[in-house]
Amino acid sequence: MARTLMRFTGVGGQGVLLAGEIFAAAKIKEGGHGLKTATYTSQVRGGPTVVDITLDDEEIFYPYANDGEIDFMLSVAQVSYNLFKNGVTEGGTIVVEPNLVHPTEEDRKKWNIVEIPIITIAKDEIGNVITQSVIALAIANTYMKALDDELLREVMLSKVPEKVHDINNKAYDLGKKYALEAMAKKAS
Amino acid sequence: MELREVISTGNDLAAEAAVDAGCMFFGGYPITPSSEIMHTISDLLPAVGGVAIQMEDEIAGIACAVGASMTGVRAMTATSGPGISLKAENLGLAQMAEVPLVVVDVMRGGPSTGLPTRVSQGDVRQAKNPSHGDYRSITLCAGNLAECYTETVRAFNLADRFMQPVIVLLDETIGHMHGKAVIPTAEEVKKGIVPRKTFTGAPEDYRPYGVGPDEPAVLNPMFQGYRYHFTGLHHDAKGFPTEEIETCRKLIQRLEDKVMMHTDELELNEEFMCDDLEENDVLIIAYGSVSLAAKESIRHLRAEGIKAGLFRPITLWPSPANRIKYFTDKVKNVLCVELNIRQYTEEVERVSSRLDIHGLYKVNGRAISPYEIVNKVKEII
Repeated sequence: MARTLMRFTGVGGQGVLLAGEIFAAAKIKEGGHGLKTATYTSQVRGGPTVVDITLDDEEIFYPYANDGEIDFMLSVAQVSYNLFKNGVTEGGTIVVEPNLVHPTEEDRKKWNIVEIPIITIAKDEIGNVITQSVIALAIANTYMKALDDELLREVMLSKVPEKVHDINNKAYDLGKKYALEAMAKKAS
Repeated sequence: MELREVISTGNDLAAEAAVDAGCMFFGGYPITPSSEIMHTISDLLPAVGGVAIQMEDEIAGIACAVGASMTGVRAMTATSGPGISLKAENLGLAQMAEVPLVVVDVMRGGPSTGLPTRVSQGDVRQAKNPSHGDYRSITLCAGNLAECYTETVRAFNLADRFMQPVIVLLDETIGHMHGKAVIPTAEEVKKGIVPRKTFTGAPEDYRPYGVGPDEPAVLNPMFQGYRYHFTGLHHDAKGFPTEEIETCRKLIQRLEDKVMMHTDELELNEEFMCDDLEENDVLIIAYGSVSLAAKESIRHLRAEGIKAGLFRPITLWPSPANRIKYFTDKVKNVLCVELNIRQYTEEVERVSSRLDIHGLYKVNGRAISPYEIVNKVKEII
């Protein structure tokens, strides 16, 4: 496998960090190498946050994604989208929450912009906004085909309390479903 | 050595290392980007009968750790650059009174409160001279996740061997990055612990500071019948303040010599792809998280036919001077890469006696990328 670089962005407090840890842990469990780094501002809530995830079969030294090399980005906040979109390689996929992030027409020409209402799905279909990070995890993996779904799910479940396994399973399923639908829509 | 694979962060690994190395006391005050060390060790220590306490400020955090160490237990505090500034006085006290202590400093942007959540290596010079007076620092620097564990363990062993504070430098990137580390098992760490020296003769014969000219003090645990005077003033063999000319001179000379006459026990470095370096190749000198970018850059450079290698000091102070000199004598193009302005470059210049060392520095709280290093190397060759 060549190196996979993913970037999750949001604002502090949205919980984008967890998805990165799960990806890295699952890749390591598979026998490869995974690293997660996060950068954030001194603002505890509301400051732009970015999580870089690097997955590789070879040892990874530098833990951040190099700008221009990122294959996949997911963003749930406009401020973070604007700040970090240029890290994505031309033609790369950027999944945005359309209620919160509004890409320009130029952006749509440069990248494969996919709109999935992640937060609405978490709030309305699952009933718990915190599950957005698991929805994001499933969407990212569906696009990147980085890891075996069941391995990723297993690692995800090991990191959340047992009493919320059901809703997180549902979140994973829904994330995958919406991602597949979005892919089918683009293809048609 | 028996090893284990873990998935963790640098800060968590430093906390776990402390507990595995037998640390029984943590005193501190939370500060970004080091807070997770305190958070994690607060969970771990009570479970093994130890104590972790959040004090009212940075100064009290180190002061209570110094006190704990005087009772004979291994003690630690953790902080970032602004905290080291506040702890400086107590670092000097522990140095003068010869109290072992581990201080983990997870570096962030400075000076002053600087850039709290951003990476920097701005405390390298501060770690060398945190206190006034002649202070011979022992400072270690983790360059990957595994070393957040192993260097913290080594710091505890060195603190007890040399009877003085040992600083472990992490930086925001290393402290917060999350991934795989292969580290020794806790049993292996326990096997490597050498207990602090104690005096077992008659209490009236006890002279904690009456030791050989290059030896550390022998501080028996407090409250066990071996009494001595504890002070930051110049002191005699029993610890009492003195202005006697020769006693004062010998004391400070001994604090210097107990470290500098035993640098062979301290020096540690990594030489990455340095074996085949010749005169016209490139030697990169970097430490901490910057060395990760440097390693990646060396992969790119070698793929393009440019022979480069990395020299990475792990013990920053005292510096691995002989190895630096060996490589800087051999290789013409030397590039120091640091997240500060020339803090270690000046040491490289000193030990190499060369003033043509190239530098790549960044002080805006952002990491140096492998490509920036690649471009700089192409510029200098």
